Amino acid sequence: MFVIIAGGGRTGAQLASALLSENYQVLVVEHRRELLSRLHRELPTEIVYEGSPINPQVLERAGIRNAQVLAATTDTDANNLVLCYMAREMFNVPRIIARVNNPRNAWLFNENFHVDVALNSANVLAHLIQEEMSLGDMMTLLKLRRGRYSLVEEKIPPGAKAIGIAIKDLDLPDQCVIAAIIRHGKVVVPRGNTTLELEDEVLAITDQDGTRRLAELFAPPGKNIKQGGTAPP
Amino acid sequence: MNVIVVGCGRLGSELAYRLFQQGHRVTIVDNVAVAFDRLDPAFRGRTVEGEALSKEVLERAGIDEADGLASVTNSDTLNAVVAHTARTIYKVPNVVVRNYDPNLRPVLEAFGLQIVSSTSWGAQRVEELLSGIAVHTVFSAGNGEVEVYEIVVPENWQGRKLGEMLSEAEQCLPVALTRAGRSSLPTAETVLQTGDVLDVSTTAEGIAALRTCLARKEA
Repeated sequence: MFVIIAGGGRTGAQLASALLSENYQVLVVEHRRELLSRLHRELPTEIVYEGSPINPQVLERAGIRNAQVLAATTDTDANNLVLCYMAREMFNVPRIIARVNNPRNAWLFNENFHVDVALNSANVLAHLIQEEMSLGDMMTLLKLRRGRYSLVEEKIPPGAKAIGIAIKDLDLPDQCVIAAIIRHGKVVVPRGNTTLELEDEVLAITDQDGTRRLAELFAPPGKNIKQGGTAPP
Repeated sequence: MNVIVVGCGRLGSELAYRLFQQGHRVTIVDNVAVAFDRLDPAFRGRTVEGEALSKEVLERAGIDEADGLASVTNSDTLNAVVAHTARTIYKVPNVVVRNYDPNLRPVLEAFGLQIVSSTSWGAQRVEELLSGIAVHTVFSAGNGEVEVYEIVVPENWQGRKLGEMLSEAEQCLPVALTRAGRSSLPTAETVLQTGDVLDVSTTAEGIAALRTCLARKEA
């Protein structure tokens, strides 16, 4: 798969190295001198394309017509929006992803500018921090569907409400499923009548409501679980 | 008419003041308050300080009721985003953008916007004056692809036919000839006199060809 990354700042460079290690074909388009010298140090020279990414001729020479994905990661929201629009309108790029720099501009990042996915780093981070604060020791292993669902893991501490209760009686919300239990180093496939034991490591796939319910069931006694999570966007 | 001008630089402040003088209700937006110092002291429109990409700022500027919007900042991408949003989300009927960097004109064209290329336009006019041939634009159609130029017939074309001149400059349509204050519709057989004022409708390539043939001393 061929990915063009427009903008070689921290985000663009980081994304390029990550994609390279996954064996993607990548090109980073950047024209600012001060960034180029760093890019050439950090990335293989052949994946750095020198030119202004908002110039359609530069994009065309970089081969945007063959790109499956455009990632607009410059530090200017207007540039990212224009890039997304041009990528679809002039070059028919199938998948377009944009970085939102200022959360106030997030409202513009939609199909009106041909943005398929908008990533708002400030929001994602604020959201994660808030979630970490409210969920005690639960660990998020994987985010699914842009963070709407998660694969979470927690070890059941002494005194937790869930100990000795069968899964079918835990009263879990609809959007929450216990996927596996690791007990004494072995995987137990959970059924409705499986009861949870002390020190079980529980893996669950859940939305945010489910995460809060699990946190409540798995909390040690006396630990106050905050209910401060935010609703998904 | 309710008009919003985005960007209070030299072009924006001048435009806002002219619109105000024409009796329009003008709101001018800029992200730095000191930019409004450029406005003529007699300007009596509204000023809104804030980032033009913010929904709240656009709505405070009255975009819901705007009849026209001009985005004339020195950022082509910002102008494109503001103008496209005004047209598609707020259905502003008349939207114009300024093209600042001539290399980025294709970007604005991709959005199908009405464009004024202040930089190219200025350079072109200065070039015309420096070349010493009396040619100037009297009417600009569309985004300026076709323009009507007024030409003062130079001495070296005295007594020659218009058809001869135009055979060297294709794509030039003569639309009027003015002699001693009276205009007529010229034909290929019209004999030119020094000082005649000829109006032709043509493209940028056409006028370039016509200039070359006007400058040629030999018949």
